[in-house]
Amino acid sequence: MVMQRHIRTVSELKTHECARTYAFSDPALAGRLTAMGILPGSSIEMVRTAPFGFAYYVKVNGVRMALREEEAANILLEV
Amino acid sequence: MIDGGRQVLHIALVGNPNSGKSTVFNQLTGLRQKTGNFPGVTVDIHKGKLALPGGKMAVLVDFPGTYSIYPTASDEKVVAAVLTQPGGPHYPDAVIYVADTTHLEKHLLLLTQLMDLDLPVVLALNMSDTASEQGITVDTRQLSEVLGIPVVAISGRTGQNIAQLPFEVDQLLRNWDVLKQRKRLYRLNDQELQIAEAIGQNLGETHAYRALLLAHHHGWLPFLSIEARETLAAIVQTKSFQSLRNQVDETLDRYDRFTPIIERVVQKPPAFPTTTTDRIDEVLTHRVWGPLIFVGVMLLVFQAIFDWSAAPMDWIEGVFAALNSWLQHHLPDHWTTGLLTDGVLAGLSGILVFVPQIAILFFLIAILEEVGYMARVVFMFDKSMRRFGMNGRSVVALISGGACAVPAIMSTRTIGNWQERLITIMVTPFISCSARLPVYAVLIGLAVPATRILGFWNLQSITFAGMYLLGMLAAFGSGWLMKRYLHTREPSFLTLELPVYRVPHWKNVWLTVLEKTMAFVWGAGKIILFISIVLWAMASLGPTEAMHMAEQQAANMAAQQRLDKSAADDLLAGYKLEASWAGQLGKWIEPAIRPLGYDWKIGIALIASFAAREVFVGTMSTIYSIGSTDNEVLLREKMRHATFADTGAPVYTLATALSLLVFYALAMQCMSTMAVVQRETGSWKWAFFQFVFMSGLAYLCAWLVYTLFS
Repeated sequence: MVMQRHIRTVSELKTHECARTYAFSDPALAGRLTAMGILPGSSIEMVRTAPFGFAYYVKVNGVRMALREEEAANILLEV
Repeated sequence: MIDGGRQVLHIALVGNPNSGKSTVFNQLTGLRQKTGNFPGVTVDIHKGKLALPGGKMAVLVDFPGTYSIYPTASDEKVVAAVLTQPGGPHYPDAVIYVADTTHLEKHLLLLTQLMDLDLPVVLALNMSDTASEQGITVDTRQLSEVLGIPVVAISGRTGQNIAQLPFEVDQLLRNWDVLKQRKRLYRLNDQELQIAEAIGQNLGETHAYRALLLAHHHGWLPFLSIEARETLAAIVQTKSFQSLRNQVDETLDRYDRFTPIIERVVQKPPAFPTTTTDRIDEVLTHRVWGPLIFVGVMLLVFQAIFDWSAAPMDWIEGVFAALNSWLQHHLPDHWTTGLLTDGVLAGLSGILVFVPQIAILFFLIAILEEVGYMARVVFMFDKSMRRFGMNGRSVVALISGGACAVPAIMSTRTIGNWQERLITIMVTPFISCSARLPVYAVLIGLAVPATRILGFWNLQSITFAGMYLLGMLAAFGSGWLMKRYLHTREPSFLTLELPVYRVPHWKNVWLTVLEKTMAFVWGAGKIILFISIVLWAMASLGPTEAMHMAEQQAANMAAQQRLDKSAADDLLAGYKLEASWAGQLGKWIEPAIRPLGYDWKIGIALIASFAAREVFVGTMSTIYSIGSTDNEVLLREKMRHATFADTGAPVYTLATALSLLVFYALAMQCMSTMAVVQRETGSWKWAFFQFVFMSGLAYLCAWLVYTLFS
């Protein structure tokens, strides 16, 4: 087995940082996200954190979206 | 295409949320629409008449916006439930699929699913005007050829090409036998094929993709029989079919197939420029400014509900009062006149008086929704509200509840998760509404001294503020409590699109206002009218002997004291109310309310207040025989001197007044709210649960306060 490198998730993105999505770790959420156009390989930008935290304003392929923290933590990013 | 029970064509309007579907619907149907419910689903659907070429009429059904045939929220389930049941009562003959041209790639998923169900589909590329402003061009002819379906570039806002949609539908249906030979986009994998085959053999569903959907959704599809459900469960089990995983795989496969098509037919500028929406959101969703601006917006909404509605409400009440006195003057002095004036007219006035508040609230909410601000509110407050079992959208309901719970509860329809919506409905009436104000005013004026604390703060205003705080505490506290006991298997998602800011489409706004207002007048109105008549009967009829005695006593008393006509009438009204069924009931419940410090007179007011809380003041005036003077100061004076009949102790001590305040703040005393809760939850169960919960809590807290202060 190759040693597992730490995989970053959307919740770890810094403000205005862009990345590409790689996979989803929760299948139920994956259904919802893919239906909404967040696919493996989509470009995602962290726009800002919600005023009271725990939610993120992101841009996926140019579409603005709000994600809960636990949802963002389920979206793995390409290294 | 016309099946047994149906004489007209049914055309479904389907699309993703934010596709501008409702604008297209309103453009196609205008005022020829009505709201209905799918049996078994608590989702409202709009139906409208659509004229087809050649004068044929069709029914256009607007389905809730959904991203996929694999739903993740209750309202989205309707689409899957209807489209997997050919021959079912709602199965459409054709579909108009509305897609947002500016983000076509994420709007085609559901379209390809509908196409694979072999439904006749017309693709409407909406917002084509915005798309060309952004430099996006779509080769509609090529898209139509590749997909094998008619494609029309439209704009719901300007109405461009809207009229072509019914024409295309008509053409499509005429040539359907030829056109339906198009190839499917998704090819089922081996396991899926085996499952589809097994379902075909066992249940007779020969359409492979539809059979696959039955396998995915067998747990909840409402039209399946228990046997069918068991058969499907067994098939899924033996093939060790993993629904969620296959859904994702299918979705990704579909994207793989249509993304190249999109790349071929859509030309768009390479980068996403920073737009006005981004600049607005820098302020509106800012860490500090965002919540502050929200508070400002909500204060404006609150102010509008309060202020703008005052004049029309006074006017409505004035018209009814005038009509009432005219009728009493001109009709014979008979009980039927009382039934008409104090029962029916009072009930009607009680319904119509809410219309301005409901119309104004929904006017403002519709604007905020249309503009795109509501999605930002949900984003900002989602987490804070979820601690209390609610959702970002509940904020709007709770704040509107400060004016009136009736429109506030109606506004919870936008909450997708049933549990979160139910909790919002349950706790909203705790927020002190405008009807509680007159009660607070009388009681605080009576019991709380107007002394100042620290030289500035008026004790009365502090009590006032305290009442609002108490309501909020009760709302959030019970939300927190209910969250622990109400469980749902429905997953709760945020993953919400934040749409581009737009100028509101006024036709949508007005139609929303009209729809919500009519829903209240017809839906809740019937119940309010009925309860109003019952309350009238209780307050004006009574045991014959007791009523007769009351009349005589009042006459004797009036003669003794040489009262003038109007004072004598007031006295008579007071005696009659005491002898009425409501009075009897008030006396009967006195032992139950005595621990809270109330006498039977307050008991009558409590019962009558069920019509609406503000009735408290009027009822107390009648009981203390000053009914016609409508004078709060005089009423307070009378109440101050009231004593318990048996002990002679004064009734309105500080303890009693505080206990009453707490009771009015917390108890469910509003038939309109109960009627709306029944309507919105679809059963009396929740309305009664709420009544018992709120009144029980009110009793407990009032008792605590009374015991503490006396």
